[in-house]
Amino acid sequence: MNYTKQIQEIAAKLFAEGKIDVFVGYRMNGFDENQVPVLVNTADDVSKLVFTDKSVFNLVNYLKNEHTRRKRVGIVVKGCDSRSLNLMLTESQVKRENLYVIGIACEGVTDDSGQKMQNCVDCMVPDAVVFDEMLGTPAPPQNVPVSYKMNADIASLAAMPLTGRAAYFEEVFENCIRCNACRHSCPLCYCAKCCIDQETATLYNGANTTSAAFHALMTWSLHLAGRCVDCRNCEKACPSHLPLHLLHKQNESVIYENFQEHLAGVIPGDRGAFYKYSMKDPDDFIM
Amino acid sequence: MEAEVKDQLVSIEKPGLIAPPNWEPVIMGILCNWCSYAGSDLTGTSRIQYPPNIRIIRVPCSSRVDPWFLIKSLQTTADGVLVSGCHPGDCHYISGNYYARRRFLVTKKLLNFVGFHENRIQFSWVSAAEGPKFAKVVNKVTEDIKKLGPLHLYKKENFEKK
Amino acid sequence: MSFSTFVTDKAGLQKIYEAIVASHETYAPVEKFGKFDFKRVTTLAECDPDSPISKTQSIKPLFFPRSAKVMKYVATSAGTDVSEVDEDPLASKRVILGVKHCDARSLQVLDKVYNWDFIDTDYQKRRTNTLIISTRCDKADTHCFCTSLDYDVEKLDALDILVVNGLDGKIYLKARTAKGEEFLTEPLTRHASPVTEEIANPEMSRQYAAFDGSFRLKMNYAEVNARLSKIFDTPEFENVSGNCISCNTCAFVCPSCHCFKISDEKVRDTGVRYKSYDSCNNGYFTLMAGGHNPRPAKYRRWRQRAMHKFVYYKERFGENLCVGCGKCTIACPVNISIFEVVNQVAANV
Repeated sequence: MNYTKQIQEIAAKLFAEGKIDVFVGYRMNGFDENQVPVLVNTADDVSKLVFTDKSVFNLVNYLKNEHTRRKRVGIVVKGCDSRSLNLMLTESQVKRENLYVIGIACEGVTDDSGQKMQNCVDCMVPDAVVFDEMLGTPAPPQNVPVSYKMNADIASLAAMPLTGRAAYFEEVFENCIRCNACRHSCPLCYCAKCCIDQETATLYNGANTTSAAFHALMTWSLHLAGRCVDCRNCEKACPSHLPLHLLHKQNESVIYENFQEHLAGVIPGDRGAFYKYSMKDPDDFIM
Repeated sequence: MEAEVKDQLVSIEKPGLIAPPNWEPVIMGILCNWCSYAGSDLTGTSRIQYPPNIRIIRVPCSSRVDPWFLIKSLQTTADGVLVSGCHPGDCHYISGNYYARRRFLVTKKLLNFVGFHENRIQFSWVSAAEGPKFAKVVNKVTEDIKKLGPLHLYKKENFEKK
Repeated sequence: MSFSTFVTDKAGLQKIYEAIVASHETYAPVEKFGKFDFKRVTTLAECDPDSPISKTQSIKPLFFPRSAKVMKYVATSAGTDVSEVDEDPLASKRVILGVKHCDARSLQVLDKVYNWDFIDTDYQKRRTNTLIISTRCDKADTHCFCTSLDYDVEKLDALDILVVNGLDGKIYLKARTAKGEEFLTEPLTRHASPVTEEIANPEMSRQYAAFDGSFRLKMNYAEVNARLSKIFDTPEFENVSGNCISCNTCAFVCPSCHCFKISDEKVRDTGVRYKSYDSCNNGYFTLMAGGHNPRPAKYRRWRQRAMHKFVYYKERFGENLCVGCGKCTIACPVNISIFEVVNQVAANV
């Protein structure tokens, strides 16, 4: 999968026609074959842009206010990235007319060791769902709905006894250093002031303790439930290598099994599972 | 004649931790103003007894309950949480409880996934006329939590039980 | 005072480490989720004193804990009672194995900070009670640049016992402080033989030369420092910080970053005050009561970070704050390299 040349050409054209102020793409990191995001401001730097199967980071993160507020942005999105873009558009965080979106029919990306990432192996929406221009050949529309693939890690943890899971997650939360990189790298965490960063002493859990980490990670995953697109930005950003996808995939499986909702962000305008309800929602766990 | 065997009550998520003698669970009750809170009021005026373990706070609607409240309660004094709202179709704000029940299910399942017993947080629909039902619900929740033992997971600093 | 040097081999070093773990409270790199963090160990098998550079966290949390209780308080009708917290578990006598030189060097700078306008007695106690055994790296990692900075990696005083894997296959141990000299005695030294400096020093220098030659990254520190001091207002900082996501990770993993925040956990009248890590990259780091924020934009925070690490501390304390370990680059979600940042900014003056 290599669209380097096409992306350079499109970016150059957009700058030449004065259609964008900044182009968000990928560049080589300068020390090995992996890539990092780059915000290109002029046509001179367009030659830095690349796109291959090492273009991992979800660039929609840079559409948040602090990065590209009020600018016209050209951006490259893969399948999962475009779903988070759809959600940002639906939630009125960015204006569609300010964007030029290059969609990719993604064939999956690899992690630092060269192996295809697990979320790409299980991916159900590889082709960009919102774009002004599509690169690559999208798969033909499926007549039979793609069946949901239960994440293997979730299944194995669910099979463990309660005390085993409690012990496993205690280690996970203990190793969290509360750096908040997961929040900052997630495109859908755009709140100007996160609810758990409020200064009120009774609410504030600022200390970097295990109980604070539990509070932060649980609240974060529940606020993302129904909106997470499994791009793994959070997990790659975490300096302690915590398996954050476990929390999100668990929520996703509950939502899929019980509410039969689409995956987040597939349909434009669709707000996610927690903004809707159905008369058929399960009620038997409520007395 | 029943032999008096006093089992030591352990915390079910962490069997190494034993409840102190005469331990009584603390249950946080979050009740919606229009139905459940009024219903609990009726329980009281009807002179129906229910366990004093529950501490009630009132919210305008069950959908006001952010999962954060449940997590916070469990990290402080509560050993269990009961959230109660209007019956589906009867919400004072029309559809609040429909949104709420989705959230409740996911929160319950996630907490169970990370190691909390599923009976630690429970939910009910109690209408303003269901005084006896509220008492039954509180009885059930209290009994369930008593069997689970004190909660020792991720307590905040001042709430760590010795 | 001259310090003793000993020579041993791999097996002998293992036995020395085992003897240390058996007789002292020892901290060493322990693997969890693919990263090595310094934790208390009771057997040598639990840890790896030769953990890979790119996966090893710093020893900073053992001196400046991620979250430390500072005091307890109770509000009474007569006023507020403030009391000490329980004895600091990190303040007992302990040995740290497997420390990298860059980590040890950062303690040298932190010593100056914590002895400056306010003497941090907790930090002093932890320092006095700790003995550091540091193995000089054999080969630099991708993001290392410690030898380019303004300190002599070969002659560090911040560590107590130096371990060098000589190119001749032997392992040299040398005390570098009085504390280390006292420590290198029986029963440890039975697994090693004393050796004279005439024999040991050339071998250790040979290893250093090979190590110094293995760096991908080298820079002219004096020039960069001189140029950066003059160009506070350069717009180049906007270019280098474009893809930063202000996530705090760099400051948290850095061995020499020491900014903190104070937060209270209280219930009604009683509370505990915590001191935990904070990062100047955070958008709210400089937010004041009243709402003013002097560093609202990302590039300002990155400018502060670069200048702090490469200019201000040199001016104030005579030592560079950045130790060239590369941990920030490895941990950064978008791999921003502070080496590249300062060189790029300095080059564009």
